[in-house]
Amino acid sequence: MTNQTNKLRLNNSELWGGLIGLALGGFVIWSGMKLKLGTINDPGSGYVLFYTGILMCVFAGSIIVSALTEGGPTLASRWENVRWSKPLLLIGCLVAFSVALEPLGFLLSSIPLMLLLLRLIDPVRWTLAIPIAVLVPTGMWWVLKRLLLIQLPSGLFGIG
Amino acid sequence: MDTLANVAHGFGVALLPVNLLYCFIGVFIGTLVGVLPGIGPISAMSLLLPVTLSGTPESGIIMMAGIYYGSMYGGSTTSILVNIPGEAASVVTCIDGHQMAKQGRAGPALGISAFGSFIAGTFALIALMLVAPKLASVAIAFGPAEYFSLMVLGLVVLTFLTQGSMPKALLMACIGVVLGLIGLDSITAQPRLTFGRMELIDGIGLVPVVMGLFGVAEVLLNTEQAIKRDIINARITQLLPTKEDWKASAGPVGRGTLLGFFLGILPGGGAVVASFASYALEKRLSKTPERFGHGAIEGVAGPESANNAAAGGAFIPLMTLGIPPNVVMALLLGAFVIHGLQPGPLLITQNPGLFWGIVASMYIGNVMLLVLNLPMIGMWVQLLKLPYNILFPLIILFTILGVYCSSNNVFDVYVMIAFGIIGYFMRKLGYEPAPLVLAFVLGPMMENNLRKSLILSQGDLWTFVQRPISAVCLAFAMALLIAPLLPSLRKKRELVALDEGA
Amino acid sequence: MPRYGLKTIAFAAMHAVMGALLSTAASAQDYPTKPITLIVPWPAGGSTDISMRAIADSASKVLGQPIVIDNKAGGGGTVGPATMAAAAKPDGYTISQIPITVFRLPLMQEVSWDPAKDFTYIIHLTGYTFGVTTSAESQFKSWKDVVEFAKANPGKVTYATPGAGTSLHIGMEQIAGMSGIKLTQVPFKGGAETNAAVLGQHTMLQADSTGWRPLVDAGKLRLLMVWTGSRSPNYPDAPTLKELGYPMVYDSPFGIAGPKGMDPKIVAKLHDAFKKAVEDPAVVATLAKYDMVPNYKNTEDYKKFVVEVTESERKVIETLGLAKK
Repeated sequence: MTNQTNKLRLNNSELWGGLIGLALGGFVIWSGMKLKLGTINDPGSGYVLFYTGILMCVFAGSIIVSALTEGGPTLASRWENVRWSKPLLLIGCLVAFSVALEPLGFLLSSIPLMLLLLRLIDPVRWTLAIPIAVLVPTGMWWVLKRLLLIQLPSGLFGIG
Repeated sequence: MDTLANVAHGFGVALLPVNLLYCFIGVFIGTLVGVLPGIGPISAMSLLLPVTLSGTPESGIIMMAGIYYGSMYGGSTTSILVNIPGEAASVVTCIDGHQMAKQGRAGPALGISAFGSFIAGTFALIALMLVAPKLASVAIAFGPAEYFSLMVLGLVVLTFLTQGSMPKALLMACIGVVLGLIGLDSITAQPRLTFGRMELIDGIGLVPVVMGLFGVAEVLLNTEQAIKRDIINARITQLLPTKEDWKASAGPVGRGTLLGFFLGILPGGGAVVASFASYALEKRLSKTPERFGHGAIEGVAGPESANNAAAGGAFIPLMTLGIPPNVVMALLLGAFVIHGLQPGPLLITQNPGLFWGIVASMYIGNVMLLVLNLPMIGMWVQLLKLPYNILFPLIILFTILGVYCSSNNVFDVYVMIAFGIIGYFMRKLGYEPAPLVLAFVLGPMMENNLRKSLILSQGDLWTFVQRPISAVCLAFAMALLIAPLLPSLRKKRELVALDEGA
Repeated sequence: MPRYGLKTIAFAAMHAVMGALLSTAASAQDYPTKPITLIVPWPAGGSTDISMRAIADSASKVLGQPIVIDNKAGGGGTVGPATMAAAAKPDGYTISQIPITVFRLPLMQEVSWDPAKDFTYIIHLTGYTFGVTTSAESQFKSWKDVVEFAKANPGKVTYATPGAGTSLHIGMEQIAGMSGIKLTQVPFKGGAETNAAVLGQHTMLQADSTGWRPLVDAGKLRLLMVWTGSRSPNYPDAPTLKELGYPMVYDSPFGIAGPKGMDPKIVAKLHDAFKKAVEDPAVVATLAKYDMVPNYKNTEDYKKFVVEVTESERKVIETLGLAKK
């Protein structure tokens, strides 16, 4: 791992992690207060949230402090020497899949997903990719529906 | 001698051909259900509950019990092979188990978890036979204050789960607690952090969170590397644990078994705490703690044994008090009642044949499980020989199916994908998912019990120190927190002390 | 892979898709064509859970499809119905047990559901036998001892209930009000937890439905009173509320309902199946184990009953000062 010490640099990944944590902590404190803290005799719904939020800010704060004083790896260095485009493609496929799942149903959305995954990341030859993409989801769908009586989403077209 | 006669009587019942058959069906279904992530023992048992009505009470309950402990055996398989934990207790197995698989040692990892499970299961049964009635009081000795302190102890364990920076792990734990609190407050029924989304009223499911953070995130990380992935299938040396593996694992299995058995007695969360605590204990005792997280066999042997011993311990409060310690046991209680039996203090004396028959059948079931699981190891290891570019789409598909089947809810699939993406970026920035999952499970229980104990003590915080069991738990927690500080007063570790105020 | 393999596979996939298309025409006539989920908003293993399992098992035989029990505990039995009202489709495949808290809680605080609008009521089934117990080792031999102790030590007497706003909570507060004592409620998540709490003497009393039965039978818990109209045949020694001078009966009757907007034909099918179930001798026997008596009301009567209960609850809540601001 490349561990450059860049003091007070904005592309320090530690700093950004800490800032996100601090923001989340602040939000949790605010939610806790909104839900009412109650009293120590009868703590309310927001009691534990409030204190957890404070702890989050403390820990996030200490991450930020050490990022500022000791520096840390830059955001870019985290993705050095790796094929960063591949996970990004995969994330894109998964997001597209979750958009398609309900309207199209399980079969119509998972077969294209499988095909994309098999072809985009490390291409598998077509003669292997197509059978796998078609047969595995269909087979699983059949087992679940017929043997285990679990209905997968069938979508607008009612396929599945 | 009385016990011996009872045991003999029990085996007489369990060895009836029909009961043997039911036992086999039970453990077989249990193994299948355990291996498939998502479809847990709960859904399998509720679907099969009506089937058991046709036979005698013994055979019905023997089968249901078989599904339960059978699923405990299978639970570790996907954790080790593809980093997908099917339940909270298997999360720990992922940490070192999957690393072992990556180093070509999937066989020994699966082997030690099967043997460890067998040893732990057998011990738990013997203990169940000998001391069940005496240990009933342990289950009720834990009130809200004790549970709170136990949960604190459980959360402190997370400082041993992490290899990186402590503030990051603690931040993750806090996020886990907050995520666990989403949904209706169980005390006042107020919706918390639901953002007006109706799907969140019921809280976020554990299965989509762990499958996303572990399974999907792992795939995302692996696709980055073009060359490294072949390491998984490169050198699979042997299928069973070697002599050295056994030597390393003997202690962890023994300690894990004891820990699991006693924590398993406690209603609620016992098994999860036991498996995490066993991991922490082994790391603490190890002369080479730095190997943990990089494929240490002790990190698989201990938690897996604890997990299975807890499954045995869980029978104690059910059989002796009629108090089911978890949902699965509650289903078993339902099976008892449907058959016209009422588990409780009188069950063992009124129905000795039933009680001892069930215990004896579990012993036989454990042997069956070992015989059933060992040949399967070879098969599972073959699975890893699939090229990764074919394997990973299958992993994604199985996580989607597993998550959907565990709740029949499309929303959970979205949750899993979201946590997969979050998990990927977390791992890239050096934040580890295990503390988050542990806190996600324990946080809500800790909150609930904290509030109950404060109501009980009328706001007096001393209650946690005045009650002996609670005080012991807190003392252990303190000791665990302070121990790493003593030898080296490194700056970073000081932050741990802040947690004492929590 | 040989070339003809591809063709065969494509053919097989086509076949699967066609088959799927043909099998989807599901309607109220065919209902039910898949397992039905029955939400039980209590932890598995409690008296409600087990009696609902027995009823569901019997009803599933009439319907010809399994009924899967889904335990969604919390919020005094409201988390389950609230989740259903919010998220489930009114297709008859998700129904829920409706405890009385579903009507009561909206009077006490902001909630996400409206009992008058968000449910399709199907059938009213039965009610509970409630009782107050204490550990056999406790100093309390009778309810009178509790009242005396509480008078001397206000607020020191703690009792475990299966949730805030449950009938047990409201009932205990009413009793306390009438006796002029102060009791402290500790809300748990159902019978298994309250049993453990009182057995371990973490709370002094337990107010719950008959999940305490095996422990009372074994002499580990002492039953101080029951909340039914007359003494329970199983426990002739335990006095009723009326006998102790509190003119009340609490049995928290319950039924089942689905999300709003269900097809009346599906409602009728479910009603008929569950009616047969509560008449099934096996179910009656299971109910009797928990001292529950079938209390059948059809769909129309159940709807009327909901309005009546909401009104009577409103009065009680207001008298106790628990109404939402």
